[in-house]
Amino acid sequence: MLNLRDHESELDRALGRVGQRTKFAEVLAQGSLGVIANVDSKSHRASALPRVAGAVLRAWAGDRWVEAAASGFDRASLNGAVASLEHELAASTAPGNPPGESSTTVGSQVQRPPRPMSEMSVEQVVELAKDYYRWTSAVPGIKNTQSSVGWWDDERLYLNTAGARCHHVAHRVRGGVAAIAFENGKSEYDYTSVGGLGGAELLDAFTEKHAQEVARSAIELLNAPAPPTGTMNVLLDNGTTGTFAHESFGHGTEADQFVRDRSYLKPLLGDQLGPESLTIWDDGSVPGGWGSVAFDDEGHPGEKTMLIDRGRFVGALHDRDSAAALGAKATGNTRRSDFLSRAYVRMTNICIEPGDWSMDELVRETGDGVVLEHWTSGMEDPLGGQMQLKVRRGHRIENGKITGPVTSMALSGSVLGFLKDIRGIGKLDQRMEIETGFCGKGHGDYLPTGDGGPFLLSRAVVGPA
Amino acid sequence: MSGATNASDTAFRVAEHLKRAPAPWDVFAERITTHEIHFGPRGIELLRGPIVLEGYGVRILRSRDGKIGVGYQASTDASPGGVASALEAAESVSQYSAFPAKDVTLPTGNGTDAPRPDITDGAIWTDAPGALAKYTAALFSAFEGRPGIGLSFGSVKTRTTEVTMANSAGLSTGYGHTRVELELAVKSSGGPEGAPPGEYWVTAYDRRLDATPLPQLAADWSRYATDARHAKAPPGGEHAVVLPPTVLESILPASLGYKLSGRAELREMAPAIGSAVGAPRVTLEDDGTLPWAYGSSPLDDEGTPQRRRTLVREGVATELLYDALHGSALHHPSTGSGFRGGFMGVTSGGASFGSAPGPGCTTLTIPGGDGGADEELIEAAQDGVWIQQLGWASPDGLTTMFGGEIRIGYRIRHGKLAEPVRGGTLGGLVLGAPNTPSLLANVTGIGRRTVLTGHVNVPTLLVRPMTIGGDEAVTSAA
Repeated sequence: MLNLRDHESELDRALGRVGQRTKFAEVLAQGSLGVIANVDSKSHRASALPRVAGAVLRAWAGDRWVEAAASGFDRASLNGAVASLEHELAASTAPGNPPGESSTTVGSQVQRPPRPMSEMSVEQVVELAKDYYRWTSAVPGIKNTQSSVGWWDDERLYLNTAGARCHHVAHRVRGGVAAIAFENGKSEYDYTSVGGLGGAELLDAFTEKHAQEVARSAIELLNAPAPPTGTMNVLLDNGTTGTFAHESFGHGTEADQFVRDRSYLKPLLGDQLGPESLTIWDDGSVPGGWGSVAFDDEGHPGEKTMLIDRGRFVGALHDRDSAAALGAKATGNTRRSDFLSRAYVRMTNICIEPGDWSMDELVRETGDGVVLEHWTSGMEDPLGGQMQLKVRRGHRIENGKITGPVTSMALSGSVLGFLKDIRGIGKLDQRMEIETGFCGKGHGDYLPTGDGGPFLLSRAVVGPA
Repeated sequence: MSGATNASDTAFRVAEHLKRAPAPWDVFAERITTHEIHFGPRGIELLRGPIVLEGYGVRILRSRDGKIGVGYQASTDASPGGVASALEAAESVSQYSAFPAKDVTLPTGNGTDAPRPDITDGAIWTDAPGALAKYTAALFSAFEGRPGIGLSFGSVKTRTTEVTMANSAGLSTGYGHTRVELELAVKSSGGPEGAPPGEYWVTAYDRRLDATPLPQLAADWSRYATDARHAKAPPGGEHAVVLPPTVLESILPASLGYKLSGRAELREMAPAIGSAVGAPRVTLEDDGTLPWAYGSSPLDDEGTPQRRRTLVREGVATELLYDALHGSALHHPSTGSGFRGGFMGVTSGGASFGSAPGPGCTTLTIPGGDGGADEELIEAAQDGVWIQQLGWASPDGLTTMFGGEIRIGYRIRHGKLAEPVRGGTLGGLVLGAPNTPSLLANVTGIGRRTVLTGHVNVPTLLVRPMTIGGDEAVTSAA
């Protein structure tokens, strides 16, 4: 832990100076540290994460926000940022209160995982990654394996002139492998990973069996055909369903896009968008969720926001600005990647609730189509409402039965059409698993977000990828 | 270098503390100052700056059992205690690292023999807020008076970076550069036809704020946004596809940067030198010296002078990209391709010092060919699809597969651009095994004029065929 509270008096002093020039100011101090180990067929390495820490100051200038930031907490660095804001605020000709409500939350949440990764030696982290490597590469036909085990602690201290004072530390851990098969100049791979907010106990879920399964999958893909292309029935696996919820639907519920008239969902608030079996929520308070936040970067506690309730679009995600503009309340979704990045409305953990279809029923109902497995990426289109999801592999479904594997593919089409065409949502036999992803807002500002869901059957365009 | 006065001395100060440490070691430092303007449909929403990030990374290379233990630690604390702590951390992790090279040769000198590409915008260097305000005003002006067109979201960012480097072999050098990032959502809405609004999403990376082309670009971007309102998904199947430079920029660097590097060669995943990897008409270079290119610099991030590297000549693989470490392992001198990037998404701010160097590309260049102007390539295609933008090409460095949704494109009918298309996916391999179909192997036309955009300097390409997943009945793969 960086112990940002050691710098609290300097941060208070900087905030106080800026606060004399405006109706509202805030400061977020942030820093991180951690270790990652990577092992492959030729090398292994341990790397310490950059020891980068600093603070960003934001103030209301009457008609816009102004910000300045500096790495380090020494008086000279903070003074530079403060002087810049004083200059901007002096030029402001429209004094007044900022939009929305200022947080007055005071709190501290410092996790204590059962087995903190920070108490593991670097050697132990490397040995774990070597285990993953060994398990995977032992499968005949695997040319190379890239395994990794890493953790990082993200510490944040938020103060504002309304009295909020929020301190929290998130411990994130993640481990996984990519198994690579290579034959006659063609390479294929598959991957698997585990992780979340917590400690080494989360890595227990990664077993030799998982490693071998992913290795066999990579080998199978070498001789698998490309997927069929065109509009067809598609059955999404758990992770792909979660990625759909995030990329295709969730970005359109970020209400800063509503304020900009940049969301196809804005005029549909209150409408029935899908079947009654469809429920989607975002929840920054999920214990252990990869995207969970004790407090967002405006000082609001992480919370659960219902987005689609039994098929009806009922809610959106707000920061103070969008909440003020649209008569809502802030939902604990204002997030910065780090002290160098601006705040946006962002998701935390977004999930689709399980339904009551068995896997057999879903496959039978699909008839002919594909199963999409092992998501790799997605892309939002908040205005147009189109979707793009990419998966590493899949299977064909023919005559209501799962048949041979197919290689990587992309899914596209209209999100609203996809929601309307949902014909089945699977059961979950276990607790909802929150996957570990990173999300950008547009083409930057990456931060950890979680998503999850059950198998889900609908219809969309499938193409090569 | 580059006409910019570099006032930072971070690496030199850190190096003073490292002189007692066993060689070899190197230190790379940056002082990055960012200014940003963010805007929405009602004007400016947020002014940011200065955002100041100053930090360094210490790398130590320890020979152990015939291999090298690489230790790396980045930090923003350049105090004597901070440097000592970073060095200790680097030494610690080096014990648990092993890279298959017996030794490593680090570059020497002070960079005086390096090329000096233009990479510094004087206006940004001397007055970034002023330059940013002037450019943003020109941007807004370029969209004024366009019926139904607005900017729903956008930002312009400038970064001035002072780089310093030093190592145990005597390297002591530095240079300055500027970077610009533009993100823009151009929206078309309203009108009597009642079509839903359309958007063209622009992301551009440059070295300078040049407002000169904005009026023409605004006209083009507005047209794409308007055309998107009426576009329908293209037919699926095998098509002749025309790919302009902006689309190639989204595909080539991320697909080929790994595959054509010493990193892939070490893992036996790179194409063999001398093997056919593309159509005979395809030559591919990596040029780190192009003026105003986003990837250009006098030196790579290890201090080796930049140069132009021919990776593929007339369809045959000729050279790969090496940093000092991979070069040592593979008995090849560094090609000046040691670059640093982000680290697990933990730091942003345009920093490179957060991670140790590895081989990477700068600006991938395909020389202009005999395909003529874009109109001539379209005529040569006869029937096919012009791809103007993919949602995200999602390029995969391990396999070179890419695939993304077609955000906007145009059908080509009878050798002319016809109705707009949107939806469906375009995808495939960029570089395949010899005698297998791929983007590079299926290039049948190369345009005359190259365009520098982001990390490529390429002409428009005609590729025949490529697979489109479109809006029609299912087509089984062969």
